[in-house]
Amino acid sequence: MEEKNKMVGMPVSRIDGILKVTGKADYSVDHPVTNVAHAMIFKSTIAAGKIRDIDTAAAEKAPGVLAVITHKNAPKLNEKGGIRGGAMLQSPVIEFYGQHIGLVVAETFEQARHAARLIKVDYEEASPRTHFEKLSKEAVTPKDKERADVKRGDVKAALANAEYKVEEVYETPMEHHHPMEPHATIAEWKGDHVTLYNSAQIVSGAQNAAASTLNLKPEQVRIVSPYLGGGFGSKGGQWANLVLTAVAAKMVNRPVQLALTRHQMFNSVGLRQRNHQKVSLAATKDGKLTALAHETTTHCAIDNEFVEPCGDCSKVMYEVPNSLISYRVVPMHIILPTYTRGPGKSTGSFALESAMDELAYKLKMDPIEFRIKNEPERDPTSGKPWSSRTTVQCLQEGAKAFGWEKRKPEPRQNQQGNYLIGYGVACGTYPAHQRPSSALVKLDRKGNEVTATVELAAADLGTGTYTILAQTAADALGLPMNRITVKIGDSDLPPAAGSVGSVGATSYANVVNDACIKITDELMAKSGKQFFTRPTAAQLMLSEKVTEFQTRADSKELEGADEYSSHSFNANFAEVRVDMYTGMVRVDRFLAVTGAGKILNPKTANSQVIGGVAWGIGMALSEESVVDPRWGNFVTRSLADYHVPSNLDIGTMEAIFIREEDKHSNRLGIKGLGEVGIVGVSAAVANAVFNATGKRIRELPITPDKLI
Amino acid sequence: MRPFKYTNAKDVPSATRLLTANPGGRFLAGGTNLLDLMKEDVERPNELIDISRLGLDQIKTIATGPHKGGLSIGGLGKNTDAANHALVRQHYPLLTQAILAGASGQIRNMATNGGNLLQRTRCPYFYEVSMPCNKREPGTGCGALEGINRLHAIFGWSDKCIAVYPSDMSVALAALDAVVRVRDAAGQERTIPFGDFHRLPGDTPEKDTNLNHGELITAIELPKNNFAEKSYYLKVRDRASYAFALVSVAAALEVSNNRIDQARIAMGGVAHKPWRALQAEQMLVGKEPTEANFRLAAEAAMADAKPLEHNKYKVELGRRSIVRALQVAMDGKRS
Repeated sequence: MEEKNKMVGMPVSRIDGILKVTGKADYSVDHPVTNVAHAMIFKSTIAAGKIRDIDTAAAEKAPGVLAVITHKNAPKLNEKGGIRGGAMLQSPVIEFYGQHIGLVVAETFEQARHAARLIKVDYEEASPRTHFEKLSKEAVTPKDKERADVKRGDVKAALANAEYKVEEVYETPMEHHHPMEPHATIAEWKGDHVTLYNSAQIVSGAQNAAASTLNLKPEQVRIVSPYLGGGFGSKGGQWANLVLTAVAAKMVNRPVQLALTRHQMFNSVGLRQRNHQKVSLAATKDGKLTALAHETTTHCAIDNEFVEPCGDCSKVMYEVPNSLISYRVVPMHIILPTYTRGPGKSTGSFALESAMDELAYKLKMDPIEFRIKNEPERDPTSGKPWSSRTTVQCLQEGAKAFGWEKRKPEPRQNQQGNYLIGYGVACGTYPAHQRPSSALVKLDRKGNEVTATVELAAADLGTGTYTILAQTAADALGLPMNRITVKIGDSDLPPAAGSVGSVGATSYANVVNDACIKITDELMAKSGKQFFTRPTAAQLMLSEKVTEFQTRADSKELEGADEYSSHSFNANFAEVRVDMYTGMVRVDRFLAVTGAGKILNPKTANSQVIGGVAWGIGMALSEESVVDPRWGNFVTRSLADYHVPSNLDIGTMEAIFIREEDKHSNRLGIKGLGEVGIVGVSAAVANAVFNATGKRIRELPITPDKLI
Repeated sequence: MRPFKYTNAKDVPSATRLLTANPGGRFLAGGTNLLDLMKEDVERPNELIDISRLGLDQIKTIATGPHKGGLSIGGLGKNTDAANHALVRQHYPLLTQAILAGASGQIRNMATNGGNLLQRTRCPYFYEVSMPCNKREPGTGCGALEGINRLHAIFGWSDKCIAVYPSDMSVALAALDAVVRVRDAAGQERTIPFGDFHRLPGDTPEKDTNLNHGELITAIELPKNNFAEKSYYLKVRDRASYAFALVSVAAALEVSNNRIDQARIAMGGVAHKPWRALQAEQMLVGKEPTEANFRLAAEAAMADAKPLEHNKYKVELGRRSIVRALQVAMDGKRS
C-alpha cells in the first residue's frame, strides 16, 4: 500500500467543514421533522428518599401542555436494557439530586418549561450519602473483576527498604463532559418503528440500548446521528433522555423533541468520578524503581457500579519488580459516573506522573532521565512484547523541541518580574485496539466517471471521521477524494465500532480499507483476467465497463494482535507562569509529542491532540464540579461556575507526532488519538507549577487560593 | 419562564410611571442578568417594561453643578461603549479596566451601565430555587452559610446572607466616588453617592440597593480627579476570562513629591457591595508610596475580615492584591 498512498497522511481539511460553518450540518434537533412537540424534563430536588405524591394538575392545565409523564403513568421499560444510569420514571425512588422524575410535553419549549415548574412533589426524604471524605472509609473492593487487586512481588517490603520513596495522596475532583451540543433527541414513530435523531458515539450501541429498554427489536429502532457536537464519553453510552423522548412521542402520538439544558447536563449524563489516589514509589539511589503502588478510592452510584481505571498507566509505564494496583469504591447518592476522556488514564496519570516528578526531585535526577531509566522492554504486567513503544522517543524529541535544557532543576530559580516560570514533563498512554466493524462500499460508473460511496454506522465526534474515511477509500480504490461519498451515523448502515476508547479511527479505517481491497479482488475475479500489476477498483470499473458494484466487509482485530501489548504513548511538556502575588497560573506553552501509529491526517490529528491538551489544562487549573454534601446538589451549576478554559487561559499549544506504523496492531498501523491527547497533561502542568513555585499541589484544580 | 406582559416604554416619564404603577414589574434594558434569572425561575416579574430604546446613552463632560468638569455616563449606554469612550480611557482608565475585566465581549455589548449596577449575586444557592435563600425567598435561611462558601463574603455579611456582589464596574465606580443619578415617576431627580447605592445584607438581603421601585438610573456621574496616571484594577479569578472575582481591587493614587496626596482602595468579591477600605486609604495619605506602606495599608484593610469555612484564603489574597494593585498603579502600568 505504501507506494500508492496519496491522500492518507495528508493534512486534508475536514470535508464536512463547509457544512458545519454554514449551519447546514444537522445536529440532533436540527433535523427537519414536522409537527414536533417539545418536552422538558423535571428533576428531583432531594438526593435520597422517595416521591410520596406528585401533583401535576396545574401543569396539565397549563397552556399548550399535551402530557405530563411521571412514574405514575410512564410505560414499563426494561431497566436492565442498555440505557445507563436509570432515572427512567420506573419508580418513586430517588437516588440522586436532579434525578429525572418526569417530563412535560407541550407545543413549545417555553410552555413545557413553564408547566414543569407548576408541578408539586411531596417527598419522603432520607439522609443522603453524599459526603465523599466521610464515606470513603467504607469503600470496598469493586464487583467488577477488572478492578480486582493486581499484585506483583512485595511492595511493602520494597517500600520499607527503599533508599528513596514517595508516598502521597493525589485528589482529582468530579468533572463534567459538557460537550458543546448538550444531549438532545427527536423521536418519531411510524407504527411500531421509531426513529431517534440523537447524537451517539456508538450508533449501533445506541440502537441496541434503546431497543432493549423500550422492549423492541433492534430493527424497530433507527438511530440517526450524522454529526455530534462533542461527547467526550457522555454520548458513549446512552442515558434516560433518549428513551424518555421515545416514550413521550408514543404517548402524545406525534414527534417529540427533548433537549437537555446546560444546567440539566450536570445530573443527566454521568460525570467523571472523584478519585482519591495514593501512589507509593520506591527507588534505588541511582534511580531504578523498586516499588509502585497505586491505590484508588472512589465512588459510584447507589445501586450501579462504575470505576474508572486510574491504575492503568501504572500497570504499563515503568519497569518495576514490585507492584500493586487496587481500587476501592463506595456507593453514593450521586449520578452514575461514566467514561470521560482518557477514562482512568487522565486522572491516574496525574497521580503517577506527579509522584514520578516528586521522586525525581528527591533523587536530584532529571525527570526525563529518570523515566528513561525505568523504561520497560515488555509490558511489565502482561509480559507481552510491545506492538511498538515510543515513550523514549516522545521524551527525547519533545525535550529538544521544547528547549528542556533551559529548565532549572531547582524550583523558584526562574523569575520574570512578578512571575515565576516553571517547566514540567509528564508521560501518558492509552491502549490501542481495533473493534469489529462492517462497511459497505458501492461503486458507480457513469461514462468515464467512477464514484464510490462508503457506508457504515460509524460516528464523527467532530474529530474528522468523514475526512479520514474519504482519504482511506480514495487511496484504496484509486479515486480522487471528491469522488468518494462517506455515509455514517445511521443505524440502518452496517454496524460499526464506536468513537470511544480511541478505537474509532482504527476500526473504521481498517474496515473501509478491507472493503476496498475486497471489492477490488471481486472485480478482478469477475473480469476473469490475469493482471501483472494489481489494478485499482476504479480502473476495473472502467476497463470492465461495470456500472454498479458493491461489497461488504466485516473486520475484526488482526489475528495475532493480542500477542502484543498495544498502546499509544505521549510525552507532555508545559511551561507555566505563576503570578507570585495572586497565585494565578497561566500555561504559556504546551507541547504534546505523541506516538500513535500511522497518522491518517496530520491536520485533524493535531486538532484532536490540542483539544485534549486544552481539556487537560482545564483539568489542571480550573475544572471542578462541587457537591454540597448536605443535599447532594451541585453548587457549580452552569458554565459560569464550571470553569472550562477560556481562550485567554491557553497559550501556545503544539503537537508533534512520532513517525511510526504499528503493523502488529492492525493492517493500517493506526493506534488512535482521542483519549491519549489528555493523558499526562494535568501532571505536566502541576509539575511545572512545582518547578516554578516549589509548591507541590496534589489536589486538582490548581486554583489561586492553593498557591498563595 | 413564567408568562409575563411585555411593554415598550416610549419615554422616560412613561417608563417610570409604568413601573411605579406595577409593583410586580421590572425594567428590561440589556437583559443579560434579568433574563437568565427569569429562565432559572429566580426572578418572576409579571411585566417587563422595555427601556432599551430611551436613549440615555451619552457620555459627556458635566458642564455645571457640583461635578462640573467630571463625566456623565448615560444609564442606558452599553458597557462596551463606556469602557472604550475616549474620555473614559483618558480620564478614568480604572473604569475601563474594570468593565473590561467583567463578563465577555458579547455580554458587555448588550449590558447597560445602569443594569451593571443592578446585577444580582451569582451565589449558587440564590440561583437554585430548591435551596434555601433569604435573598430570593426571605425567611427560608441561607444555604451558603454552612454550605459551600469558597466564593462568599468576608466583610459585612450577616447570618441572613453571605452573598457577594458580582460587578467589576461598580468596584471602580466605588473607588472613583461616583454618584448615581436617578429619576422617579413624578419627574423628581435625586443623586445617590455610590457608597450608599448598594446595601449590606443585614436582615433584608432581598434588597440589594437603595433604589426605589419605579426609579430609573439616568446617569452615573464621575467627579473630576487626578487618578488617571496612577490607577489599576486587579482581578484575581479561577480562570483568565469569564469568571467572577475571587478578590478584586480598584486602586488609585495621587502622588506629589514622593508623598501620597490621595488614595483610593475598593474591593470586589469580598462583600455584598463594593467594599471601600477607607481606613487604609487614610493611612496612606502623606506617606511615601513604598511597598512597606502598601503592606501596612493592606493589613489595615483586611483587619476586620471575618472569613467563613471555605474562604479563609480571601484574607491573604486580599492583602496581596491590595499591595499588588497599589504597586502597579504606582508604576503607571496599564497591563
